[in-house]
Amino acid sequence: MLEVLHALLFSTLDAAPALVFAALGAVLSERAGVVSVGVEGMMRVGAFCAAVAALVMPTPLAILMGMLAGAALAAIHGFLTIRWRSDQVVSGIALNLVALAGGTFLLESLYGPNGTPPIQQLSRWDVPGLSSVPVLGALSGHSAATYLALALPFAFQFLLARTPLGLRLRAVGDKPHAVATLGLSVAGLRWGAVLGGGLLAGLGGAVLSTAVLDRFEQHTPAGLGFMALAAMVFGRWTPVGAFLAALFFAFGNALRIGLVSSAPGLLELIPQGMLLALPYVLTLTLLTLQGQRSSAPAALGTPYEQESR
Amino acid sequence: MPERLSGILPSVLSVLLALAVCWGLIALTLAPDTAANAYLQMLWGGIGNWPSYLEGAAATVLTRPLGESGMKAALLTLTGLSVAVAFKVGLFNIGAQGQMILGALAAALVGAHLSLPAVLHVPAALLAAALAGAAWAGLAALLKLYRGVHEVISTIMLNWVAVSLVDNWLVIGPLRGVAEGGQSITGTAEIQATAALPRLLGDVSRLNLGFLLALFLAVAVWVWLQRTRSGFETRAVGLGAEAARTAGIPVARRTGLAMALAGALAGLAGAVLVLGTERRYPGTLGAPYGFDGIAIALIGNNHPLGAAVAALFFGVLRAGGTRMQLLGVHQTFPELIQGLALLFVAGRMVWLALLRRRTAATPAPANAAPPTEAPRA
Amino acid sequence: MSLADASLDIRDGELLAVVGENGAGKTSLMNVLYGLYQPDGGQLSLGGKPARFKSPRDAIARGIGMVHQHFMLVPTLTVAENVVLGREPTRRGLFDLERAVSEVAATCARFGFQLEPRARVDTLSVGSQQKVEIVKALHRGAQVLVLDEPTAVLTPQESDELAHVMRGLVAQGRTVVLISHKLREVLGVADRIAVMRRGRVVAEVRPAETTVEKLAALMVGEGHPALGMAASGRAREPSSGMGLETNTPPPGDMLAARPASRPSVDPTANTAGELLLEARGLQALADSGRPALRGVDLTVRAGEIVGIAGVDGNGQRELAEVLTGLRPLTSGEGTLLGGPLAGLTPARARERGVGHVPEDRLLRAVVKALTVEENVALGRHTRPPFARGTWIDFPGRRERTRDLLAAYDVRPPDPTAFLRSLSGGNQQKVVVARELDARPKLLVVVQPTRGLDIGAVAQVHAKLREAREQGAGVLLVSLDLEEVLKLSDRVYVFFEGRVTGHFTRPQYDERELGRRMLGAGTDHA
Repeated sequence: MLEVLHALLFSTLDAAPALVFAALGAVLSERAGVVSVGVEGMMRVGAFCAAVAALVMPTPLAILMGMLAGAALAAIHGFLTIRWRSDQVVSGIALNLVALAGGTFLLESLYGPNGTPPIQQLSRWDVPGLSSVPVLGALSGHSAATYLALALPFAFQFLLARTPLGLRLRAVGDKPHAVATLGLSVAGLRWGAVLGGGLLAGLGGAVLSTAVLDRFEQHTPAGLGFMALAAMVFGRWTPVGAFLAALFFAFGNALRIGLVSSAPGLLELIPQGMLLALPYVLTLTLLTLQGQRSSAPAALGTPYEQESR
Repeated sequence: MPERLSGILPSVLSVLLALAVCWGLIALTLAPDTAANAYLQMLWGGIGNWPSYLEGAAATVLTRPLGESGMKAALLTLTGLSVAVAFKVGLFNIGAQGQMILGALAAALVGAHLSLPAVLHVPAALLAAALAGAAWAGLAALLKLYRGVHEVISTIMLNWVAVSLVDNWLVIGPLRGVAEGGQSITGTAEIQATAALPRLLGDVSRLNLGFLLALFLAVAVWVWLQRTRSGFETRAVGLGAEAARTAGIPVARRTGLAMALAGALAGLAGAVLVLGTERRYPGTLGAPYGFDGIAIALIGNNHPLGAAVAALFFGVLRAGGTRMQLLGVHQTFPELIQGLALLFVAGRMVWLALLRRRTAATPAPANAAPPTEAPRA
Repeated sequence: MSLADASLDIRDGELLAVVGENGAGKTSLMNVLYGLYQPDGGQLSLGGKPARFKSPRDAIARGIGMVHQHFMLVPTLTVAENVVLGREPTRRGLFDLERAVSEVAATCARFGFQLEPRARVDTLSVGSQQKVEIVKALHRGAQVLVLDEPTAVLTPQESDELAHVMRGLVAQGRTVVLISHKLREVLGVADRIAVMRRGRVVAEVRPAETTVEKLAALMVGEGHPALGMAASGRAREPSSGMGLETNTPPPGDMLAARPASRPSVDPTANTAGELLLEARGLQALADSGRPALRGVDLTVRAGEIVGIAGVDGNGQRELAEVLTGLRPLTSGEGTLLGGPLAGLTPARARERGVGHVPEDRLLRAVVKALTVEENVALGRHTRPPFARGTWIDFPGRRERTRDLLAAYDVRPPDPTAFLRSLSGGNQQKVVVARELDARPKLLVVVQPTRGLDIGAVAQVHAKLREAREQGAGVLLVSLDLEEVLKLSDRVYVFFEGRVTGHFTRPQYDERELGRRMLGAGTDHA
C-alpha cells in the first residue's frame, strides 16, 4: 500500500510542474486584469522552442529559450490587448490557433511527424537521506523543475501579499483607474504581468518537453493549458490555490495512469473518461456553488481606457 | 468610409495578409518555389483541378475536391454561425467544440439505432443533434444567468468534459460499435443508410445535403436576426442588456434561447459530419472545428452571411491543404493561415491606425478605430 | 474638443470654485492640470515656472492632488493600502503594513479625519470613501487639492462637513479648487469663482459681488440666442452628417429657460382627473440590500405633473424603478393603471401604459450601437407600426421615425444613423419622443434634463407639459429642485425612503421644502 502511494506521489510530482507553472502564469496575468486563454498556445511554443534548442545547447539553457518563446507570444497578446485594447479572449484564442497550426507546420517541415529527435532530459536530483524514507521518499529524485514548482507558488503568493509590487498588481486588476490617478502606469504593470505570465507558461511548456517527456510531440501540450486555466479558477485566482488545484489535478492524472497499468479491472467500474473529466467537472461545480464574481479580479477582461470611469 | 464597408474591408485585408505571411513562411523554411507550388496545389485541391479537366481528365478531378471543400465549408459555416449567434446576444461561445461532440454523438446514436424511413430518419437524427448541442450550450447559459459564471470559463470546461466523457469513455466503451466480423471498431456503430445525408455529386464526391443545409441556415439566421421581432430583441440584449430590460424585453429568455440556438447549430455541425461523411461517431472529431468557428465568425465580422463566406473560403483552402502534403507542407497548413487571419482581425486596430497615419496628415486617436465586435469578456 | 483656449489662474491659499454647465470643460481642464490629459496647445505654469505634467506622477510630485467625481479607490484593499498605494512604505524591500497604518492614522489625525485605516474600502459609506480620497491626496503632500463635483453623492450633512473640511484646509495654507455646478453651494464656500463655458474661462468673480442668477447667466452666456418651447413649424437646417453636433440652439425666448427665473404658473394646469396610481406603504430594497423605500404613500392623477424632490439617494430612484417594473416591492400595495403594483415587470408596465424616461440614458434608455429607428422601436417593437406579427415592419418604422425626428427637431434627422453619433441632447430627444409617442397614461421621468444644453432642456420641459395637457399623468423625479418646482403641480418630498412633505401648487415654500428634504417633519429628524 505504501509503495503504491509512493509511486503515485512520485509520478504526481514528476508531472505536476508543467501544470503548476502554466497555472501560475495564468494567475499572474489575470490578477493584473488581462484574460489568459492563450496559455495553451504559450505552452506550445515554449515546449517547441525548448525541444529544438535542446538539440544544440544544454537543457537548462534550452528551457530559458522556451520561456522566452512563451514571453514572445505573450508580447503579441500584450501588444494587441494593452496597447491597442483588442478583445482579450479573441487575441488569446487566435494565438492558440496560430501556435497549434504553426507548431505542426514547423515540426513537419523540420523534423517529420514523429516529433523532434529525443533530447537530454533535465537531470534529476536525489535529496540525500530522503529517498529511503517511506512515502516522503517520493520527494526525492525529481528534476529541478519539480522543486521550483514546489517553491514558486509560495514565493508568488508572498509577492502578492507582502510587497509593494504585489499590492499594485492586485490594485490594477481590481481598479486600474485608481492606479492611474496615483501616477502609476497601468500599462506598465499589465505588461509586466502579461510578459511574466508568458515566461511562466513558456516554462511550463519547456518543462513538458525537457523533464516530463524528452521531445516535442505533435499534440503537446494537448489541452494542459486549459487545465491550467481550470486550476487557476479552482484556486480562486490565488497562486497557492492554483498550485494546490494543479497538484490535485496532477494527482488525479497519476492515479488514472496508475490504474491503467496496475489495476485495469478498476477501470471497468470507474471509466477513464470520467477521471479525465473530473478536474473540469469539479471546477464547474465550484463555480456553480460560489459563483464567479466572488473571486475573479473585478477589472478582468476590461481594457483600460483613460476616458472611461 | 461607410459603416458596412468598414466591416468587410478589415477581414479581407486580414486574410490577404495572412496568405502573404504564410507564403513567406514556406519560402523561408522550405524553398521559394515550393511556396508558389504549394499555393497552386492548395487551389486545385480546393476548387478542382481545372487544367487537367480541360485537358480531358475525368470529371472527378473537379467533383472530388469540390466535395471536400463543400463538406469542410458546411462544418465551418455551422460552427461559425454558432459562435456568431452567441456573439449577437453578447456571449462568447468557446464551447462549440463540445456542443458539436454531443451533437455528433446524438446523431450517430439516432442514426444507428432507430429504424425509420429516410424522410423521417434524417430529420430525427438532425433534431437529436440540435437538441444535444442546445442542451450542452444551455448549461453554460444557465450558469451565466443564475450563477454569474463567465461563459468563456464554463464553455472551456464543458468542452473538456465532453471530450473526456465521449471520446475517452462512451465511444470506446459502452457505445463502441461492433463490425460485421464481430471485431470491435473505432467509434460507434455505423448509421443506417436511411439516416445518411444524400450525396449531391455522385459517390466519389463527398458533397452532401449538409452543405445546402448549412447555407440555408446561414440565410435563415440572418433573416431571423435582421427581420424578426425576436431577432431584434436578441440583438438589443447583446448590445445593451439593461436598456433591453427597461424596454420590457425578457433578457434572460433571449440570452438562454440564443445560446441554445448557438449550441443547436454546433450540434448540427456534428450531425453533418456524422451523417454526411463519417457515417459513425469516429474515435475523435479529427479537427477542432469548434475553435475554427470562432475564427470563422470573427473573420466574417459576426455576420451570418459573412461567416458563410469565410467558411466557403477556408473550406476551399482546407480541402486543398491535403494536396500540399505532397510538397512536405503539413495538411493543417491552412489552419495556420486561418489562425493568422484571426490574429490580424483581432489586431485590426493596429494596422488600420497605421494605414490612416499613412494616408491622412493628422493621425487619428486610437479610440476612433471601429469598435471591436466581440462582447466584453 | 472639450477645451478651447482656456486660461485660469489659481492663487496660493484660496478656495477657488470652477463652475459651468455639463460639458463646459471643467473636468477636462482639471485633468490637464493633473497630468491625466495632455493639452494640444497652451501652457501650464506653477509658482511662476513653466510645468509640464506627462502623467499624474509629475503633478503629484509638484504637490497637486485630485479627488475625482467617481472615486478612484480599490474596493478590495484597506483604507491604509489605498492611501499609500504607489508610495508604499517598505522594510527590507517588503511592504510594511504596520507603518502604512500608522502613517495613515497620523495623516488622518493631523487633518481631523475619522477613518479606520484597517477597514476595507468596500465596507465604508460614500462619505467616508470620499474622505479616503482626500486623505490620499493630502498624504502625498498635496498643496493644491482639486475636488471634482464632490457633493454630488453626499447627504446634506456630509456636504456641510465637507465644506468645513475645505475651509479648514485653506486655513492651513493649502489651496482648494472646487469644481461644481451647484451655484448656491459654491457661493457659500468659495473665495473666488471661475465660470467656464464651452471650453473657455469666461469670467472670474467674487461671491460677494455676484448672485446665483448672475452666475447662471454667465454659465449659459449673455446674448446667447435663446430658446423656444415647441419645435413645430420651424425650418430645420440640412443634416450636417453623422457624428457632427450642431450646437446652435433654436431661436426663441431664452429667459424662459434660465434656471433662476421661474415662469408664471399656468393657471389651467391643475385639472387633475382619473386616479392612475395609488400606492400605500411601498417598501423596496436598494442594490446594496439596504431598505430604500420605507413605506411610501402617493397618488398620481391624469392631467397632472407630480414632482418628487429630495437629496440624491433618498429612495427617489428606487421609486421610479418600482413603478416601471424594474425593481420588486418587498412590501406594500398599490394600483397602477388598473392592475396591482406587486409582480410588475417592465413588459407589463408598458402594456398598461407606463412610459419611462430613465435616469441613466446610455445604460437604460437607448442602445448606442443600434440605429435611431431601432431605438425608436425599442420597447414598442412588437406593435404596429413597428411590426406586423413576427416580422419587423421596415417601411412603417422608417416613416414613424422620420415623423418623430421632425417633430422633436432631432439632428441629424436621419433614421439610419447610429444612435451613438448623436449628441446627448439629441439622444434624449429621441428617448422623450419615443416614450411620448406611445401615448402613455402615466409617464415616469427621472432626471430628464441632466447634462443637456439649455435648448434641449426647454424642449424637454415643453414636451412634458404637453403630455400633461393631453391628459397623461407625469411623475417627475429630479435632483434639481428648480426643475421640480417649475414643472410640478404637486410635490412629494423624499427623505430616507419616506415622504416627509407634500405640497400643492401654488403653496410652494422653498425654505419649508428644503427643511423637509433634510428630514424635518419626521420623528427622527
